Amino acid sequence: MIQVPCPWCGPRNSMEFRAVGESKSRPDVATTTPEQWRQYLYTKSNLADWVTETWYHRAGCRRYFAVERHTVTNDIRESRLPAAQLRQKEGSGS
Amino acid sequence: MNPSTVARTPIARSPVAPTAPVEVVEGWEVSTRRSTAALQLADLTWLAKVAVKADANGAFSTRHPTAFGSARRPSADVLEIGSDPGGWLTIGPVGGAAELVERLTVEVADAGELVSVIDLTHGRVLLRLSGENSDAVLAKICAIDLADMVTPNLSAFRSSVAKLVTDVVRDDLVDGTRSYLLHCERSSGQHLFNCVVDAGAEFGIDIAGSG
Amino acid sequence: MSSAAATGRRLDPQAGEVIDRGSPLSFRWDGKAHTGFEGDTIVSALMASGVDVFSRSFKYKRPRGVLSATFHDPGCTVQVGDEPNVRAAHRRLAAGMDVSPENVWPSLKFDVRAANQLVGRFLSAGFYYKTFMKPQRLWPAYQKILGRFAAGGVTAADAEHGYYDKRYIHVDVCVAGGGPAGMAAAVAAARSGASVLLVDEEYHLGGHLRYGGEAELAALAELRAEVAAQKSIEVMTNAAVTGRYDMNWIAVVQRQPGISVRGRSIHERLCKVRAGALVVAAGLIERPYVFEGNDLPGVMLSTAVRRLVNLHAARPGDKAVVFTANADGDACAQDLRRIGVGVTVVDARTGGNIVSAKGGKRLKSVDLADGRSVDCDLLVTAVGWTAATPLLNMAGDRPVYDPTPARFFPTDRLPATVVVAGALAGDGSTAELIAHGTAVGATAAARAGHGSEVPVPALARVAHPELYRSTTHGFVDYSEDVSSKDMFAAKKEGYDSIELVKRYTTVTMGPSQGKLESVNAVAIMAEAHGVTDLNEIGTTVWRPPYVPITLGALGGRGFENTRFSPMQSWHEQHNAKPLVAGDWIRPEHYGDAAAEVAKVRDKVGIIDVTPLGKLDLRGPDVPKLLNLLYVNKWSKLAIGAVRYGVMCAEDGVVMDDGVTGRLAEDRYIMTTTSSGAATVWEWAESWLQTEHPDWQVHVTPVTTGYASMNVAGPKSRELIGRVVEGVDLSNDAFPYMHVRTATVAGVADCFMWRIGFTGELSYEIHVPAAYGLHVWEALFDAGSDLGVGAFGVEAQRIMRLEKGHFIVGQDTDGLTLGFGADLGWCIKLDKDDFAGKPELVLQSQRENYQRLVGLQPVDPTIVPAEASQIVEGAKKIVGRVTSSRMSPTLRRSICLGFVEPHLATPGTVVTCQLPDGRRVQLKVIEGLAHFDPAGARMKV
Repeated sequence: MIQVPCPWCGPRNSMEFRAVGESKSRPDVATTTPEQWRQYLYTKSNLADWVTETWYHRAGCRRYFAVERHTVTNDIRESRLPAAQLRQKEGSGS
Repeated sequence: MNPSTVARTPIARSPVAPTAPVEVVEGWEVSTRRSTAALQLADLTWLAKVAVKADANGAFSTRHPTAFGSARRPSADVLEIGSDPGGWLTIGPVGGAAELVERLTVEVADAGELVSVIDLTHGRVLLRLSGENSDAVLAKICAIDLADMVTPNLSAFRSSVAKLVTDVVRDDLVDGTRSYLLHCERSSGQHLFNCVVDAGAEFGIDIAGSG
Repeated sequence: MSSAAATGRRLDPQAGEVIDRGSPLSFRWDGKAHTGFEGDTIVSALMASGVDVFSRSFKYKRPRGVLSATFHDPGCTVQVGDEPNVRAAHRRLAAGMDVSPENVWPSLKFDVRAANQLVGRFLSAGFYYKTFMKPQRLWPAYQKILGRFAAGGVTAADAEHGYYDKRYIHVDVCVAGGGPAGMAAAVAAARSGASVLLVDEEYHLGGHLRYGGEAELAALAELRAEVAAQKSIEVMTNAAVTGRYDMNWIAVVQRQPGISVRGRSIHERLCKVRAGALVVAAGLIERPYVFEGNDLPGVMLSTAVRRLVNLHAARPGDKAVVFTANADGDACAQDLRRIGVGVTVVDARTGGNIVSAKGGKRLKSVDLADGRSVDCDLLVTAVGWTAATPLLNMAGDRPVYDPTPARFFPTDRLPATVVVAGALAGDGSTAELIAHGTAVGATAAARAGHGSEVPVPALARVAHPELYRSTTHGFVDYSEDVSSKDMFAAKKEGYDSIELVKRYTTVTMGPSQGKLESVNAVAIMAEAHGVTDLNEIGTTVWRPPYVPITLGALGGRGFENTRFSPMQSWHEQHNAKPLVAGDWIRPEHYGDAAAEVAKVRDKVGIIDVTPLGKLDLRGPDVPKLLNLLYVNKWSKLAIGAVRYGVMCAEDGVVMDDGVTGRLAEDRYIMTTTSSGAATVWEWAESWLQTEHPDWQVHVTPVTTGYASMNVAGPKSRELIGRVVEGVDLSNDAFPYMHVRTATVAGVADCFMWRIGFTGELSYEIHVPAAYGLHVWEALFDAGSDLGVGAFGVEAQRIMRLEKGHFIVGQDTDGLTLGFGADLGWCIKLDKDDFAGKPELVLQSQRENYQRLVGLQPVDPTIVPAEASQIVEGAKKIVGRVTSSRMSPTLRRSICLGFVEPHLATPGTVVTCQLPDGRRVQLKVIEGLAHFDPAGARMKV
């Protein structure tokens, strides 16, 4: 069982988490076409490579966070707060 | 007036069935059992428990410097736990929830950030596991490393204990005896209690009263 | 030297023996009484007693005795009391054991099924793919016959379930294997400051040193003392590392650890270890030789003989031929001579070879390559070693064969935190193996963060003849009765890759899982292909478990969480029939659901709805969150008001529903379905954390912080009035779809709202949970003269169906988009954004989706089974029934279901096919409600 490095709690067994899936940007609801929306809902890039994913620490701090994982080796090279929170931090200058 | 509206004094109950002898103390139905065993488990659900949500680095956190993953005693009968990023759980004396809620609410009235103070006394079950081998007991049902270097006294974590999402605080007794507080959502309380007793059977665990 | 002057086949005391002659043990074997000693295995005690056949083989039912005298010895599986499949060459004897052979018919001595050897040519590998197929009507008969041939022991249906549990271990260095290299590695790691777990499958540490000579025993004593002196080494014997997973997550199975829990012995424990580094010191497994008669009782490996003689003082025979290709075979010949056994040595290194072993139930003679035939009752082979590499495989390595030492070796593909110590890495004297282990142990500790790495001395690769098969055919897999002849035939049939041959012949697929047979199988394949380099054939992949583990240990204590409401004791006392609803136990009914419905509609009833999901929402931006999660509008919910809402997922599928009430300026309580409680909470958090971290909202789950009870019926207001303080309950002051906080039965901080799931005047009260039972009992006390009764989930389901209220997941499924569930009135597409909006916009632009409608069977006595299909013509499915009950209120059956749009007009009669094939007519009603469609009863 791999360990996932939660940015808040540190490395924990993967069964404490829920793997939410590839990180994707939600299309603008006002302007999205049906094709774009369905791409967002259903397609994944499914690479044998480094991917950025969202994980949720279900049995721990209950935070959502982003992880860069290599899908073949399960190496994880980075975990960080969700993009929206990082943007918010930058915005507030903290 | 209908005679059936005779008032009954409210009795509060823990989800964990109390072990005999059972008495009503301070409005709670509790076990008053005494144990002298080296390894004990007690149900402390009747203690006040108040949760605060605020900015992880805001005004409240400055006033309450209990870091995420640790615990602190601001006074003798209050334990403050850094239970979440931007979340604290304060455990206080029986019946003390209203006072704690009021004190914390007034304190942050001018915080300039959203601060929520919520009484969780009823929503969580709280157990204390203490004594020799309390770490060995937990190690049968919890995958977190309990070595002193990793989980020292007054450290706190949330993880899976017997497949339940449970908060654990290492809170050694005054005489240095190793001890852990465990709390989880109320309806799973009897299950958590049973699992800890089961894991402790190998080491001679005994049930202590709510003290 | 000591001689055979002993009882039966028991020898005089041996220097390294592990038996305690002062503790004799009585036991039974195959119905007869025997004795052995504390420290004997079942097999060593039996051998000392003169027994040499322990089982019958899988396919051909050939008599089998000792081959390897280890856990995985294929001929030594027996039944002990209630316990099947005990590995008798490993399991220690205990007083009173009742041991019997497994699956013999009629007896071990004479098994009629051995007759199938006569038709062996028809039973070659893969025969079951070609036989017992036709005619199909004889399958039950074939099953009976084949059942007789199936291997394995017996489990009694009433056998006591053993005690199994689990344990988590965190350790810097885990050492798999307690031979000289493993012990040295453990000591070195501990000296570097690491915590160590040292695991060995035998009952004592030492590996092959235990059954060696004086020098080995002396080295062993020293190593044992060094291990004992290190407090940071935890030693686990009779245990094995059975799996290595990502990041050194390691499974260790601990057998009969000698721990009792409340008087019951732990039978097996699964230890889940997270190690900083893993040292694999698993050593070498002696390999059998393939030749005619190689499975006869009396044919053994050299290590088997040395174990039996030196550890257990058991004499395996009187006259031996020793076929040796290495120093261990030579040492075995010496041991045999020492105990007075006549030995003929056949040396492979000088061209000697054995051709075939002859005998019936016991070896009688051996034919040599030089033409001689030697009478003997013991044939010992020492033809080489198999490296125990599976743990390395599991760590990502594909070991490579080196023909010089004739075995496989690890490569550099191992991760840095998995290191190899001892014979797996090369050959050496005891001192060299210890030095190797010491360096590897320090390296492992360093890689786990303690001390520094040291250079690891290289171990030599001593030349060894490549000896796999003689000039005759013999068994390759003893457990599966697969011979080299079978494998050649398989190759001829076109199964030419090792993976295919494995699956076709089942070679290596038996209980020893390749330990004794995989390298021979590869060598046979190489021979069949005419190649000499075994690397060209490759190997199959080893996967966990490396050693068997019981289902009991995998299951552990088996606790499943069960959740109860604070009123559970009351429900039990009142004979509630328990309903399993997810993790919860809820009262389904208290004896008569229809009567409960009548009571609620006529008088007043109370239902425990504690599992209802409840979320406490605070902050100025709560309306933004509500607008985002729900399909309807929430900006103008007044303080004290309650509104019903539906949530859709981003694909437009109906996800959850419930009411949300506003208790104060910035304080709301959202309810969800009980099965959706956790999901909706995570859903809300995902939006707040990943899309809108700037919104000022706090969400706290309070599902079990409140005991929830719904008081429903025409007399509910009267009942509530008797226990509630401080609230004007008149309809004007407290209208339908509003919420009030109150003190109920003396308990402060309760809140209650008027909602209408059952369709009656009702108050849903939420009480701080510790007082749940108190308030519940107070209501029953207060309402006894009003005829108050409890009602359960079934009565509630009936009543909500009477009112046409759908249940998410019952009347909707994973493809039901919002408009299909008759939610057009609720979905506000003019909102800027909400979860699922784009798909709902698209749905609103088309017609071709099924509609949720109310249905009434034309025959009011027929209650169609839920999920019955609605059909058109002979076979076209145009809908289904989702909910169906007999309504006690209307005295007729009522349903909800889906139909194609052209059938959704009220008045349409549709055809429903019941599970028994009958077709009945259902009529579409106006709207969804069968009873009180205007909803007047709730609003009084």
